[in-house]
Amino acid sequence: MAVATRLTSPQDLAEFREYLRSERDEKATCLAICAGTGCRANGSMELLEELRRQLDAEGLTGVDVRATGCHGFCEKGPLVVIHPQEIFYQGVQISDIPAIIEQTLRKGEVVDSLLYRDPVTKKKCRIEGEVPFYAKQQRIVFRHNGTVDPTSIDDYIAAGGYAALPKALLEMTPEGVIDQITKSGLRGRGGGGFPTGKKWAICRAQPGDEKYIICNGDEGDPGAFMDRSIMEGDPHAVIEGMVIGAYAIGAHQGYLYVRAEYPLAVANLQVAIEQSHELGLLGDDILGSSFSFSVEIVRGAGAFVCGEETALIASIMGDIGSPRQRPPYPAQAGLWGLPTNINNVETWANVPVILERGADWFASIGTERSKGTKVFSLVGKVQNTGLVEVPMGTTLREIVFDIGGGIQKKRKLKAVQTGGPSGGCIPEALIDLPVDFEKLAEVGAMMGSGGLIVMDERTCMVDVARYFLAFLADESCGKCTPCREGVDQMHQILTRITEGKGREGDIERLEELAAYVKGSSLCMLGGTAPNPVLSTLRYFRDEYEAHIRDRKCPAGVCKALVRFRIEAEACKACGLCKRDCPSNAIAGEKKQPHVIDSAKCVQCGVCYEACPFDAVVTS
Amino acid sequence: MISLTMDGRQVEVQDGQTLLDAAKLLGIEIPTLCHHKAVPPAGACRVCVVEITGGGRPGLVPACAYPAQNGLVIDTHSKAVRNSRRLTLSLLLSRSPETEALQALAKEYGAEPVFAATREPHAEAQGGPGVSSKCILCGLCVRVCAEVIGPSATCFAGRGRGREISTPYKQLSHVCIGCGACAFICPTGAIDPAEFCSHPIEQISNEFNCGYDVRTPIHIPFPQAVPNKPLIDRDNCIHFKTGGCGACKTLCPAGAIDYEMADEIVEEKVGAVIVATGYQLLDPSIYEEYGYGRYPDVVTSLEFERMVSASGPTEGELRRPSNGQPPKTIVFLQCIGSREEQTAGGKPYCSKICCMYTAKHAILYKHKVHDGQAFIFYMDIRSAGKNYEEFVRRVVKEKNATYLRGRVSKVFPRGDKLIVMGADTLSGGQVEIAAEMVVLAPALLPSAGVRDLAQKLRIGYDQHGFLSEAHPKLKPVETNTAGVFLAGCAHSPKDIPDTVAQASAAASKALGLITHSRLTREPTIGIVNQATCNGCFECQPVCAYGAIGPREIRDRRGNLLATVAHINEGLCQGCGACAVTCRSKSIEVQGFRDDQLYAEINAIGPSAPLVATLPSGRNGNGSEK
Repeated sequence: MAVATRLTSPQDLAEFREYLRSERDEKATCLAICAGTGCRANGSMELLEELRRQLDAEGLTGVDVRATGCHGFCEKGPLVVIHPQEIFYQGVQISDIPAIIEQTLRKGEVVDSLLYRDPVTKKKCRIEGEVPFYAKQQRIVFRHNGTVDPTSIDDYIAAGGYAALPKALLEMTPEGVIDQITKSGLRGRGGGGFPTGKKWAICRAQPGDEKYIICNGDEGDPGAFMDRSIMEGDPHAVIEGMVIGAYAIGAHQGYLYVRAEYPLAVANLQVAIEQSHELGLLGDDILGSSFSFSVEIVRGAGAFVCGEETALIASIMGDIGSPRQRPPYPAQAGLWGLPTNINNVETWANVPVILERGADWFASIGTERSKGTKVFSLVGKVQNTGLVEVPMGTTLREIVFDIGGGIQKKRKLKAVQTGGPSGGCIPEALIDLPVDFEKLAEVGAMMGSGGLIVMDERTCMVDVARYFLAFLADESCGKCTPCREGVDQMHQILTRITEGKGREGDIERLEELAAYVKGSSLCMLGGTAPNPVLSTLRYFRDEYEAHIRDRKCPAGVCKALVRFRIEAEACKACGLCKRDCPSNAIAGEKKQPHVIDSAKCVQCGVCYEACPFDAVVTS
Repeated sequence: MISLTMDGRQVEVQDGQTLLDAAKLLGIEIPTLCHHKAVPPAGACRVCVVEITGGGRPGLVPACAYPAQNGLVIDTHSKAVRNSRRLTLSLLLSRSPETEALQALAKEYGAEPVFAATREPHAEAQGGPGVSSKCILCGLCVRVCAEVIGPSATCFAGRGRGREISTPYKQLSHVCIGCGACAFICPTGAIDPAEFCSHPIEQISNEFNCGYDVRTPIHIPFPQAVPNKPLIDRDNCIHFKTGGCGACKTLCPAGAIDYEMADEIVEEKVGAVIVATGYQLLDPSIYEEYGYGRYPDVVTSLEFERMVSASGPTEGELRRPSNGQPPKTIVFLQCIGSREEQTAGGKPYCSKICCMYTAKHAILYKHKVHDGQAFIFYMDIRSAGKNYEEFVRRVVKEKNATYLRGRVSKVFPRGDKLIVMGADTLSGGQVEIAAEMVVLAPALLPSAGVRDLAQKLRIGYDQHGFLSEAHPKLKPVETNTAGVFLAGCAHSPKDIPDTVAQASAAASKALGLITHSRLTREPTIGIVNQATCNGCFECQPVCAYGAIGPREIRDRRGNLLATVAHINEGLCQGCGACAVTCRSKSIEVQGFRDDQLYAEINAIGPSAPLVATLPSGRNGNGSEK
């Protein structure tokens, strides 16, 4: 790493970047190993250590082994990409290292077993660009994930980072910056979708010298990890965005509110802040512009509600994390009662690239009213789970099938749930829906922060609603009556329904409560809490009715309403179900059709999943 | 100014005011639960929601917390509003069905507790200080403790359905000052600061209600006090004890609280003083047989008086102190400590007012407890005033009370009643009454400290401490000291008409004294011969009337020549004590001079003439020797 001296002008920075680039050989071999939380859980750091050790032992000292940010294809981790060839290896284990060294590094050949196999073409994909998961994405926010070491500011600068910063501070006025952001059409990526430029303009227009900016890294939606990967993998993009935003608004102090459950993000952001300070890209008189700005990390403490801006502000101030009535909005009176601008992590990460490449370029991506790209966490019953960044307007079909590889186990798509606990379900029939803010809202769903849960025919929509409401009832701060009492009441009704104790009138009661909670809650936690119920009722009302009237769960999920049975004609007595049954409830001799003892059966569904002949049916 | 439309009517409010303020200006009633003018609004309960139908984003907003904005069009009772309020109240009722404060509002909006109970404490929410199930989580207690009083002793614990009121870390609070603001502001009566405070909270006994209820340090001492303004009891006021709180000053809309006010000592020169220091009651616990102080249902007549008063501790409902129920049988005991001398502390005189007030109490009792029975144990009934006898007769005739002539020997408990054992001398037997309440008529005593006051004023008092009048028949309002008059029970036990009469007389006498430009008095007073007086002032302490003071003799140039004694002609009563004491014989009482007295004696008989010798050498008749 280069010796750090304070950069006091754009020229300094440009020269430093030149220097860094000159020190790096673009043609040199680099093994980029995904060091995001997901792949770490899969052992990527141990893999990295071992790889370094073995390379050293082999005398291959010229090879750069780099830990990079989350590469996105989490289903297939640990991921190793070999530059400059862009060879893409997935599911790499320590035992694969000798092969990689021998075949790829020494001989320049690929290790076939580590390549991704396209399920459609059945062909192996050699380079990353061939992998359909990546081919259809447009990685702007994730531009550095997979190539840059997040703990190295040198990597970031060499890759072209911090080019927007001097442009904004020294070549543009604050109003000019706001103008660019407005023209770009960037809208808040945290879920609200409020035009970012407009928000900045309102905050700028407030009287007073003391203003604040905040980065909302609370990311509370269950299953969402887009912001985590941005903060872990490209912290400087966020910081650069914040400095530019602070300049535009007139703030000199910023806060990065990161949920406590993201220790790696906190660590990497901390390192990034220190490095930026050292180089003078944070602190006083940045690059000689006379603009000063510093940022502090504040950690959350386990409350989903603190993703709501006023609750977040309360949390930073040390108060109880409950939202307060708006207006006044934080842009007018936020932290300590002063004008405060809050944006989501992904929003901030978009700012540098907009200024670098121009508002028009950004506006050319996406739909008429939703510009740019959106990162989705594609999870659920889909083949390829991971983080997906696509232009706004990409259809759900493309995301689920082209990028996601379709449904697991050859099942049928039933619905896609977007927006987490605030969002809604989109049925299979609407699979060609282009994804943007307006279109999703029209069908009763919501973009939200970008969660995208794929559901198949073995997903019970009533159970899905119950799951989300259980989460919200637990996370409700309890301040206002509709959310505290109403959400819990809805949860209790849904629980009863899934237990087979549904009553006539329950659906009407749910609808009554949903309208009430939606209309009367103090904040948007309560205001959007009924969405899972309302959207599943809209498209899957028959499932609710089956649960209540027929005491049946059509998807075969609700344990109280499901009985598993083996169809004797279909059973080939392979014994897999018997072997896997955790309660020893299946009996059967060789060559005899097996039988489930309903007294012992706990409705776990393992036999249903295990049977290769679809002989286990629900009734 | 901000202009908006509410329920079709235009209204203007100040910048920063809320929709609730606008409604108040228009006289529109919007129900609230979590709102109180003393604390910042929270917009939490959602009962006060109103609908924005124009001029802004349509929807329901809380009136108490939503700032007024130009052009808003508000409907305060639309269908959506009423429906939301109904559901809010239904949910709150389902959570806390026993909360009385919700019932009336719930009825108005057709709310019913139709939902399943939600109050399911999180595991961590168990134990520790808490509130009753009447709590509706409005948060007023939290806000008042944090924003107005300061210590933040109460807080929310847990979240969601497990949210409840407790203290930080659910531990007894060391910062709670026991001020009770939380209990005061709580709309449902769910919170008791004694549960939160780590030290015992002593409540201040309300002296005027004989300790049957409590009062705050800042209080109006009694109903219809003059002036009818609160005063601060510094010994108990938190602000004076710790420097904290100060809530009264913050909340007073008139800005009338001044902690710097101090007692002033005012010196006035007056020509007349009227002493009307009143009375106190004998403490009947010296009579252990009646059980006063041991049994809560044995009370004094003054305590009974407060209990039946509409401004008293129970707002006029007569309740047994032991169990709060109305007493169905009540026994009044007359002459407790009066007309007896055998017990130390007993008084030989009749306290005069008790027979009549007991008759009154009997009638009041019947008004309060229609099916109750009253008994009065008496020695004699003294009802000597105008219409007094008829009044007592009425009590007997209308069966308000049964009069039993006899003394009570003992009061003791049996079960939840008190057995009163007494004699009925007219039937010649013993009586045992199972009473639910016993009222004692204690002897009247002069107020405490009256002896000291009398000594300062140089007036006399008897062995009981009642101040002495100058003449029992002819001068009932004067004392032996000129200019000091008496009125009321300081003089002797008497009731209100007699007190008023005596006070009027005293006032007239005082006025008579000070409204003349010249004071007329008897000439038989002492005179100091200033030429012979040597200023020893032996005479001054001897004067019972404080009539002797110094007089400076100065020459024409103002130099002090001598300080001699001078007798105030207004105060001197002509007793002659100073004349006897004076060593230089410089004082003589006019009309009773030595030479005059000798002349009288000499006129009686022929023995050797007595000649008074004056130190100056003059004869008693003033002639030179």
